[in-house]
Amino acid sequence: MNDYNKPLPVKQPWSEEFWKGTKRRKLLIQHCNDCGKNIFYPRKYCPECWSSNLGWIESKGTGTLFSYTVTMYGVEEKFMADLPYVIALVDLGEGIRVMSRLVNCRHEDIKCDIPVKVVFEDMTDEFTIFYFEPA
Amino acid sequence: MSRGKLAIVGIGEVATGWYPDRTEWDMIYDTCIEAIRDSGLGKNDVEGVISVNPMAQPKLQGEIGFGKVPEELGLKGCKDICIVNAGGSTTTNALRLAEHWIQSGIAKTVLIHHCTKHSSIPIDEAIRFFATAGIDLQWEYPFGMTYNALIALSMTRYMHDTKTTPEEMASIVVALNKWAQLDPLSMNRKPVTIEKVLASRMVTTPLHAFECNRLGDGASAMVVTSPELAKKLTDTPVYKLGEAVRYTQATITQRTDREGIRKAVSDAAKEVLKEAGITLKDISILELYVAYPLGIVNLLEGLGICMPGEAGKFIMEGNTSPGGKLPVSTMGDAVGRGHTGSGVGTATYVECARQLMGRAGERQVPNCKYILTNSAGGSGMNMIWSVFGRELK
Repeated sequence: MNDYNKPLPVKQPWSEEFWKGTKRRKLLIQHCNDCGKNIFYPRKYCPECWSSNLGWIESKGTGTLFSYTVTMYGVEEKFMADLPYVIALVDLGEGIRVMSRLVNCRHEDIKCDIPVKVVFEDMTDEFTIFYFEPA
Repeated sequence: MSRGKLAIVGIGEVATGWYPDRTEWDMIYDTCIEAIRDSGLGKNDVEGVISVNPMAQPKLQGEIGFGKVPEELGLKGCKDICIVNAGGSTTTNALRLAEHWIQSGIAKTVLIHHCTKHSSIPIDEAIRFFATAGIDLQWEYPFGMTYNALIALSMTRYMHDTKTTPEEMASIVVALNKWAQLDPLSMNRKPVTIEKVLASRMVTTPLHAFECNRLGDGASAMVVTSPELAKKLTDTPVYKLGEAVRYTQATITQRTDREGIRKAVSDAAKEVLKEAGITLKDISILELYVAYPLGIVNLLEGLGICMPGEAGKFIMEGNTSPGGKLPVSTMGDAVGRGHTGSGVGTATYVECARQLMGRAGERQVPNCKYILTNSAGGSGMNMIWSVFGRELK
């Protein structure tokens, strides 16, 4: 696990909780306790109302595939071993869109709008990343 | 930014190519001196220098940003310099700053220039630069995101929604290439066909290698001044007649409103045409710097020239190619010209001036009167329209 050589997420203080969540196999979404908005990506202040009264809700981890691309070529050396891989934009049930990878599927079966669900993969002792697979 | 406060009076450019034997400064000298000579000004008449930031080249950025250009060129009348950075919309901002300098009396004449030399950047460094410039380091980069993938994600959804075919998308490259074939300054002049585009290597679905950008070395420059001085200097001043802009979003996950970009395009376009006092029908050419074919589709549909989903067909029918009813990107955009970073933006304005000056050679669009230009930074973080014309309205 410690020989992971791909780029790790560059955290901000207000996103710590998110990455603690993925370690516990939970996909957390930042939530504004004042205006009720679900926020992605996590911010220091709510981008809707500038409240600092922010908390977290747990996502059900399900959504639909808004779009995808099967990357086959033209990436940095550290990603080459992964090729081909699928970059995905996923619309979560909680009303936010995240970027991720789509895994555990045959490329020819992928289509926009298919249902997907979250899976987790440990990158290092500190970081667990979130991917999606067909639901 | 109101009507007719700035005019382009001189242009200079080196052909986009691959010049491992030329230095950046070699190209800076040649383009800047060509533009100043072309303007009819003497070297000491240039009062301001604004440089387009060579984002991928920090060393050159340092040299230029700390004032080396007027010193190297011996511009003894130079009062100030500035380096500007807004990604692909940098040159637009350089023009805005120049307009401010001219109108406020800081500088009566301003040299705007760009140089990027990709051949001096080691390939892995270049890939890393483009993988991280404008890609979010927390929420995108760890997944192996690239610029090509970013465009591909939008393209997948667009093609899914509109049933636009791979052939129609490929025809955009063919249309741009037809312009590039006529342009001695373009790098990719070898004829391409739809079949060749679709047979080129799949980079990231549905984007083929020929639909991506080939990096090149390039430099270009222009001299701008007030309309009053422009009339004394040249018979063919190119006036900026209007400008309008909308900010969208920096990252793709934030673009959940499907109409978002199209609305930004459309709102800003309405504003710029109103300011210039013309309508879309008056436009002779659309000079667009969008870097990827999908950008042209978004702009044509955002302008209302094509209904949503019909731009691919419109382009495939040859409407935007040489001889077509609405010429688009007469130097072939980055796909045809070769990608010189933010320099494609500079070259787009130089080409716009060339067309309005009637000096575009085989690419010259007859009776070219008004040109609508577009620039955008990052992956479309903003949408800036400008109108240029031969006469002050």
